[in-house]
Amino acid sequence: MGKLQASLHVRRRTLLKAGVAAGALQFASPFIIRARAADILKVGVDNPLTGVYTALGKNENFGVELAVEQINAKGGIVGRQVQTVVEDSTSDKTDIAVQKARKLIQSDKVDFLIGNVNSSHAIAIAQVAAELKTIHIVPGGHADAITGASCQWTTFRVCNTGAMQGNAMAGPLVNKLGKKIYIIAQDYAFGHALADGLTKAATKAGGTIVGTDFFPLATTDYSAVLIKARAANPDVLVDLAAGDDGINSIKQAVQFGLDKQLKIAGMQQELEVVEGLPVEARIGSWLFEWYWNQPNVPHVAEFVAAIRKKTGKVPTARTWFGFASMWSYALAANNAKSIEAVKVAHALEGLKLPPEVALMPSEPYFRAEDHQLVPSVFIGHEQAKGTVDPEDLFVVDQVVAGKDFMPPASETGCKLVYPT
Amino acid sequence: MKNLEGRIGTIILWLLLLTAPYWMPLFGGYTGLGTRVLVLALAAMSVNFLLGFTGVLSFGHAAFFGLGAYGAGMTIKYIYASTMLGLAIGVLVGILGAMIIGAMIVRLRGVYFAMVTIAFGQVFYFVAFRWSSLTGGDDGLTGWKRVPLDLGVTQIDILHNDIAFYYLVLVCVAVCSAAMALLLRSPFGRTLLAIRENERRARFLGIPVDKHIWMSFVCSAAFCSVAGALYAYLDNFVDPRAFRWEQSGDFVIMAVLGGMRSFWGPLIGAAVFVVLQDKISSVTDYWMSILGLLFVLAVVFFPRGVLGVVKRKQGL
Repeated sequence: MGKLQASLHVRRRTLLKAGVAAGALQFASPFIIRARAADILKVGVDNPLTGVYTALGKNENFGVELAVEQINAKGGIVGRQVQTVVEDSTSDKTDIAVQKARKLIQSDKVDFLIGNVNSSHAIAIAQVAAELKTIHIVPGGHADAITGASCQWTTFRVCNTGAMQGNAMAGPLVNKLGKKIYIIAQDYAFGHALADGLTKAATKAGGTIVGTDFFPLATTDYSAVLIKARAANPDVLVDLAAGDDGINSIKQAVQFGLDKQLKIAGMQQELEVVEGLPVEARIGSWLFEWYWNQPNVPHVAEFVAAIRKKTGKVPTARTWFGFASMWSYALAANNAKSIEAVKVAHALEGLKLPPEVALMPSEPYFRAEDHQLVPSVFIGHEQAKGTVDPEDLFVVDQVVAGKDFMPPASETGCKLVYPT
Repeated sequence: MKNLEGRIGTIILWLLLLTAPYWMPLFGGYTGLGTRVLVLALAAMSVNFLLGFTGVLSFGHAAFFGLGAYGAGMTIKYIYASTMLGLAIGVLVGILGAMIIGAMIVRLRGVYFAMVTIAFGQVFYFVAFRWSSLTGGDDGLTGWKRVPLDLGVTQIDILHNDIAFYYLVLVCVAVCSAAMALLLRSPFGRTLLAIRENERRARFLGIPVDKHIWMSFVCSAAFCSVAGALYAYLDNFVDPRAFRWEQSGDFVIMAVLGGMRSFWGPLIGAAVFVVLQDKISSVTDYWMSILGLLFVLAVVFFPRGVLGVVKRKQGL
């Protein structure tokens, strides 16, 4: 009995102490924010700031930051100044990303939500946004489902889908590099989405997939995968791995001398990855969703200069995703003269990005049927060292306009349901 | 007198919980946060049922958490859209899983028990991760929602009204904690305490120790799968990370942080853990280090930390 009493005693004390601590904590920050003027429009940014996607998440956030500065300088959104509330979604914990989305909407009362690099996070955040009737733009989550089977009336997306990239890359692959294609990809949703997209499109373009091999995420030794690939004797080895897996697999392919025996190519490539590669492994043909060196496209140079001033580096596709996401909302809300979610959503549907936001040759627009942006993509090859600028590691051979690679909206599986 | 104080504490706790949706916004909280605290508290209390009252450390309770979550989500998605049916099936699946796993590992003790539970949790994680046609794989199980409760005479819209959902979760937590308290006060609960205090002596007294630990394991898993199902409803989403060992680790941290062996300790632990995580991560990118440090301090200064239990078990 003595033991039981002791535990009861501790229980009450612990309770009181914890109560006081939890109470005191609540006072720490929110009140300061709450005290500010009500006519500020808040934007929630729910992107990874820790874990494997840190670099990508932070670059997207830099883009958002720059857009907010420009929007505020031009008078804000429906006359209100814009302020961002940034939260760390983590790179791999979807429940935290969702918790943060709820916090941003319910506690910080943001009117617009941006996020996420991770596709799973993006899908889950989209559900919260729809539930709480808040406009949400996905800057850089690539899973087809976001503007496909899981689409929501509140959610729009700036980056491409696997199917779009497959369609865009298939022609140049088959026609220029070779008809026999071997695919290696990471064994998870993103890798499968890219591989499926490419398989369908390349077969249609007259190519043959001689083999597809999926390897587990975070593989470090690619010898088995690469030996199998060489045994299949393809014309082209398509490496669809992202992040560190992309770096390791390309590095090892080069060490094996595969680049001398066949052509190496991929689809989505990011400047963040290319910068991480050793000089000799910066090879092959790739697709960039946005590239900073576009000498003849208006406003790109200003954008690059502004980001360089802010971060000391050139903007990547991620920076542009964040920038375009923030501007898209501002343009739509200003067109609708309202921040009411249904009105902004309708204003975003079909919205064409003006040249100072588009920063690419064609005029990107949000497709009304599935809320997917229809941009151009940049196909080209990597170079070991930039000739004029050390960060110029990619040479654009061809810009493909969205109308040439977008799968029809009827194929995406998206059915938008607006609230009645 | 002590008993009375304990009761007053419990009453205050329940008053706070009952009124939480109304006072939390004043302190920068929001209903979703309160609901999350309750759900994770239930999971931590279930871990504590085993850890604090039977003296067995499970590092794989996420397995049952995940089974409850996937059971509930998949029921609504594939079988029939009913919140209560989902919850029931989720819990049944969790119990079934615990009965099978428990039977296999019940003879192990201490670190060995903890490690094998991690392994079983990871088995479920990889099944959910790889079987993407059924579970949605890494993208998680989406395309379903919790459905309003149909009581015959009236409907409670727990889908759009998050305060109503908070109270549904609170009712579930109340029922589960009452069941836990009753179990602990029953002869069965006393036997568990006896096993925790001195397993060898309990065995000499003729208590079938392995059977009791197995029963305790199954009970604990049942409560954990209730929490899992509610967790899936909270986000209308579940992904394979619900099964992962990190999730189990979080439950143990909450239990230790709040104080194992005390009945409400894990609830306090979950509240501190979730609220701190929510607040600190808004302020700094290094929030995980701060939480980790907090846990280290808790283990060092709480005499009944994880290490204490493991050592005691080894010493037997």
